[in-house]
Amino acid sequence: MTKRKRIDLGSEEARRLAKEIWDRTFLSEGTMVAFPLCFPGASAPIPPDESHITALDVASDGTIYGGTSGRRVHLFAGAFHQATGAVFDLGGVEDATGCPAICCGTEHIVACVNGQSEGRLLRCPLQPLPRDLIQEWGFSRPRIEDLGPAVAGEKIVDAVALREKGVIFIATEGHLLAMEIASGEKKILGEIPGFGCLAIGSQGSVFGLDEGESLWRYRPQDGSLERSSLPLPEGDWYRCPLRWARDPIEGILYTADGDGRLFAFAEEYGFTGPIGRTPLTPIGPMAVTFDGRLFGTCGDGIAQFFCYNPESGFVKSLGVAVSTIERRRYGYAFGDAVTGRYGQLFFGEDDDGGHIWIYFPSILPRASSSRNPI
Amino acid sequence: METYVVRWYPFTEHPNSDSCWSLSTGPDGRIYAAACCEHLPGETVKVVRYDEHSDSLDYLFDVDEVVEDPRDSGRATQCKIHYSFAPSIHDGILYMATHLSGPPIDLPLYSPWGMWHDEERCFRGSALIAFDTKTDTVLWWDTLIPKEGCRCLLHDEERGLLYALSYPRDHLISYDLNSRERRDIARIGSINSQVLFLDRYHRVWTTRDDGRIVRYDPEKDRVELSPYILPHNPAFQTGWHSVLYDAVSSPDGEAIYAVTWIAQPRLIRIWPHEGEWGRVEDLGPTTQDRDPTIPYSTFLDHCGGLTFAPDGCLYFVASRWHDPIYNPMPEGYREREGVLWRLDPETLEREEVTVLRRPDAFSQYVSRGAVDHNGDLFFGHVGQRPVGLFKVEMPQDRKKEDIHLPIRMWG
Repeated sequence: MTKRKRIDLGSEEARRLAKEIWDRTFLSEGTMVAFPLCFPGASAPIPPDESHITALDVASDGTIYGGTSGRRVHLFAGAFHQATGAVFDLGGVEDATGCPAICCGTEHIVACVNGQSEGRLLRCPLQPLPRDLIQEWGFSRPRIEDLGPAVAGEKIVDAVALREKGVIFIATEGHLLAMEIASGEKKILGEIPGFGCLAIGSQGSVFGLDEGESLWRYRPQDGSLERSSLPLPEGDWYRCPLRWARDPIEGILYTADGDGRLFAFAEEYGFTGPIGRTPLTPIGPMAVTFDGRLFGTCGDGIAQFFCYNPESGFVKSLGVAVSTIERRRYGYAFGDAVTGRYGQLFFGEDDDGGHIWIYFPSILPRASSSRNPI
Repeated sequence: METYVVRWYPFTEHPNSDSCWSLSTGPDGRIYAAACCEHLPGETVKVVRYDEHSDSLDYLFDVDEVVEDPRDSGRATQCKIHYSFAPSIHDGILYMATHLSGPPIDLPLYSPWGMWHDEERCFRGSALIAFDTKTDTVLWWDTLIPKEGCRCLLHDEERGLLYALSYPRDHLISYDLNSRERRDIARIGSINSQVLFLDRYHRVWTTRDDGRIVRYDPEKDRVELSPYILPHNPAFQTGWHSVLYDAVSSPDGEAIYAVTWIAQPRLIRIWPHEGEWGRVEDLGPTTQDRDPTIPYSTFLDHCGGLTFAPDGCLYFVASRWHDPIYNPMPEGYREREGVLWRLDPETLEREEVTVLRRPDAFSQYVSRGAVDHNGDLFFGHVGQRPVGLFKVEMPQDRKKEDIHLPIRMWG
């Protein structure tokens, strides 16, 4: 252990360091709003130990759907545009303690929930929220249908939806299957042990981590499943479950290995990178805003946000999540992230008393101006 | 007017001490205090005891030495014990757990969020110390909460469990004294409550950011939330930050008297065994009226040191300060002062009995109070260095010996 010299608190160096320490502690770019899992002032939030948000998806109308984990799973819908601003608890799910995925179709959502021994699929209609939540409103809780286990005796690891095809793809501990959302009809596509998240590529294929440092690929176009279809770049791919984020404009996928090395992936070009390295590991949820910047969390215990800017090619640490609007709260752990209808990002807090964190990234300064100075 | 003799005992052997957060009655009926140093880099907390024979303070040990976490290591320091003395009556042990905020020796400040992942700088963790008051020895120590500080501590002696609130993550932690195993029960919120208390059903009570009561029920193994918010001033408050600051049990164990940690702290009485969520009585604000358009500091506008004395009355110290409109104090009064109040639990009549004055600085902030086995009152103070403690000798007709029992089991 090194013996160190006491700092002079009156020194310029001390002032500089103090500013530096504070400046890098909390979110240094943009604004975060922690929104409770309720309609503030009009409904009670989901109980704290049932509100670890582990699954999010966004419907085509911009409504956010989510699933919680904890003592009991809840499904919820949230709207934050125009005169809305509420989260509605669609209901608690008995005998379920984990929700690894929720997928929006065109008319329904499908939630994947895990109980003690296996994962089940639940379906309920999309729940557009009332348009004016300042004046008057009405809510009714939808019926949640239980579509049974995904694969008997196996827990669900993740799921993704191909919305336009009305199909979701589900990875369990041992299988990959597809389910038609409208009919609930399931079909086993292969025997693949699920590890980490699934992703939909830029040309509509479904990808997941396979053995032998590779990805499997399922092509919905022709129904083919290719094992070890794509070799992964050199990296540590099995230390932490795989995470993905998808650029909503270009379809580029981002992922990271266990050492926080970031890679970009497009079906047309394969992997690029490492394009950068996150400040900490393990990588948490990530999402891409409309201008192409990738935002995500990293680190255990007290997560830090980071940003990868494909324009500059740099990864930047943004500090610890904090909200002072709507709720004064520190954010330490996050379970999932999606991109909202205006390019804002939604991070689901995976903690007791979890909130939806709405992140408005900072607006980047223009690179140049064609106008003459006034 | 009855005479309450006030004496000031500065921590002269810890001249850098800037806060006395913990002050409690030990299992031996003597008064223990923590001479903390939360602002200066590379310091430590010293554990102090009032010696009634020499009428002075004994400095028992430097915590950094005892827990092998030297103050010059470059990590955040073992700088304070924050409402975390918890006695064990049956074996004479005083448990104590350390807290963070003291900067590493070569840095001007410590950020527990920003340095969480920094192996060189991050606080090693709250150290739990078992101090034997019979032999004046540290029997053992352990890390109670890795990387975090302990804001407040409680001992459920019947079950051999300690409960703590962690900082900064605000988790409720339990620690089994037999197996020495820690359990992370739940995150509570973002603002630490400053006290935990126990009811006769072994339920642990505290509060959440929004002023709701939080209760951990070991039978259900669940943290529950009250359907109500604690009393606050609705003119300029919402209940947010109305977390408990200090709480003391009535001598019969039926009621808890508490104050909140927000400007214009509210005195409340909680009957935890009545109904599903107890019964809460609002006994009103403890400090003066003020300009509600200014968000006052809880260092200035403060109440603490709740203690039951031998006369069966509740004593507490509330701040009073000069305000040209709301409190134009007459000449001779200090700009800020700590007023000792007495409340009769039967009539709820409140009476000012004396003012705590240190000769060299303001003394409006009192953290904790306790009564020793001679029936005198003691109060920990936070303010100008070196801080110290006040002893308030009770008037003879209000004094009884061995009235410190039952001892408060939380810090």
